[in-house]
Formats: sequence, C-alpha cells, structure tokens
Amino acid sequence: MSDDPIDRILDGEEEILPSSGFGASVMEAVRREAYAPPPIPFPWKRAWPWLAAIAPTFAAASFLVVRQAGFGSGLEPQAPVVTAALESVHRTIVATYADWVALALLITLASIALSRRLARA
Amino acid sequence: MLAGDLSAFEGIVRRWQGPLVNLAYRFCRDRGRAEEMAQEVFLRAYRALERWREESAFSTWLFALAVNLYRSELRRIPPAPLSFEDVGEPRDDRPRDGGLEAADRDRAVRAMVHTLPPKYRDVMIVYYFHGMDVPAAARTLGVPEGTIKARLSRGREILRGKLPGLLAAPSAARIR
Repeated sequence: MSDDPIDRILDGEEEILPSSGFGASVMEAVRREAYAPPPIPFPWKRAWPWLAAIAPTFAAASFLVVRQAGFGSGLEPQAPVVTAALESVHRTIVATYADWVALALLITLASIALSRRLARA
Repeated sequence: MLAGDLSAFEGIVRRWQGPLVNLAYRFCRDRGRAEEMAQEVFLRAYRALERWREESAFSTWLFALAVNLYRSELRRIPPAPLSFEDVGEPRDDRPRDGGLEAADRDRAVRAMVHTLPPKYRDVMIVYYFHGMDVPAAARTLGVPEGTIKARLSRGREILRGKLPGLLAAPSAARIR
C-alpha cells in the first residue's frame, strides 16, 4: 500500500454506470451510420479535363498581370510568339467563360477540403 | 473482419461502454456530456475499425481514440471552470490537519486534478482515475514512459503545493 495520500485519495474514486439506454442509443447511431448512403464522391473524371483546360488560363493571366505591372518587359524581345499565343489563349478563355468555370471548380475543391477537415476534427 | 459487422460491434459496445463513459466522466465531470462523448468515440471507432492494426491491443487503440476525442472536446467546450481557490480551501476555522472531513478533502483533491494544466491533468486521469499503469498510459497518450512518470511526479507536486496541510509529502511515491 502506498503511503502517499494522493495515491490513496485519487485511487478511491467510485465508478459510474452508463444509463440504461446508453448501449441501445449508441447502436442506433451506429446503425444510422451503417445504413446511410455513402457520400457522393467528387466527380474527378469530369473535373480533370476542365482542370487541365484552365491551367493555361492561369498561366496566361499570370503572364499578363506580370507584363502589365512592368516586370516582364525584358521578355518581350525574346518571346513575342509566346506572348501572342498566351494572349490568344486568354481571349479564348474569356470568350468561353472558362475562367468562371475555373473559379467555380476551385471554390468547390476548397469547400470539399474544408468539409473533410471539419468532419475529421 | 469486424468492420461493418453490426452484431460484433454491439459486443464491443457492451464490453467497453462502462470504461469509456467513466473515462469521459473523469475528463468532464458531467454524466450527460460523458455519455455523448463516449457515443462519439464508438461512432468514430466504427468508422475507423478497418484502420485498427491488430499488432496493438484493441483496448489501447480504443482508449487512444477516446482520449484524443475527450481532450479535443474539452478544448472546444471547457468544463465549468474551477480554480484552486474554489476547491482547495476549508471555509471554516477548524484546523486543517483533521478538521476538514476526509470525504470533503478527497473530493477537493479530485476536483483539483481538473485545475492542473492539461498535460498533467490527462496523465493523472488515465493513471489514477482510470487505473492504467505507466506503460498503458504512455501508449494511450502517445508519449514515452519517462514523460508519464515525470508528469505524474510534477502533477503530485503541484497538488501538494496547493494543499500543503492536507497532502504531506510521502516517503516514497508509488509507480505502477
């Protein structure tokens, strides 16, 4: 037997019993969980082509922003063809509203990531 | 395997409901909340059963899951605040050495455990209130055994420092 009064005091706490319906309530929750339809998976197959398509949008937009800010002036003499191509891609994307689709996809991905994180917490 | 097998899981609930509710109660001191937290542990265990690796004991895995959830729940919604001043001091003129009834003293000391900083509180709860030995506490809390011993020792010191008249230093502290 320990002669430390803390040991004696803390060891002596009585047990509590779960309420009578606790086990049934747990199993009801588990059954709900078991029979709930699985979460709808994110449609990656449909999203991938769009994600691939919008990559040039961001490249073009970044390039134009940098150029307009004056940081990219050194590139113009060396890559006029690239500049023209990116501007063309940019115009096409704006005309087909692909930029809005890209924004919607990004918001969707962010909300999925956030909800998964919250569900784990 | 067990995953998805509801009748097997019902056996798990029957076997572990008492220990999990008690452990939750040690953390929050509220019976209703303890049952809610224990139910959440069972739900998470059901979802995660496939991830249990059989090289560790099921109880170790389950209690580690439970302690993690209880700690994060207490961070999210702390229990009613207690301070050393609230629980530790006799409120009459009787001398401390024997004046305070033993039951009152014991209740005060147990309540004081919940005023300790969380890292000491958690070790004291699983070691004393839940009856784990040092290796089991170390596995459950995910820290080395030496850390458990050090935190137990420091936790006791803090308690003794707050109630010097009630908790005299022992000749040798026990370690399971």
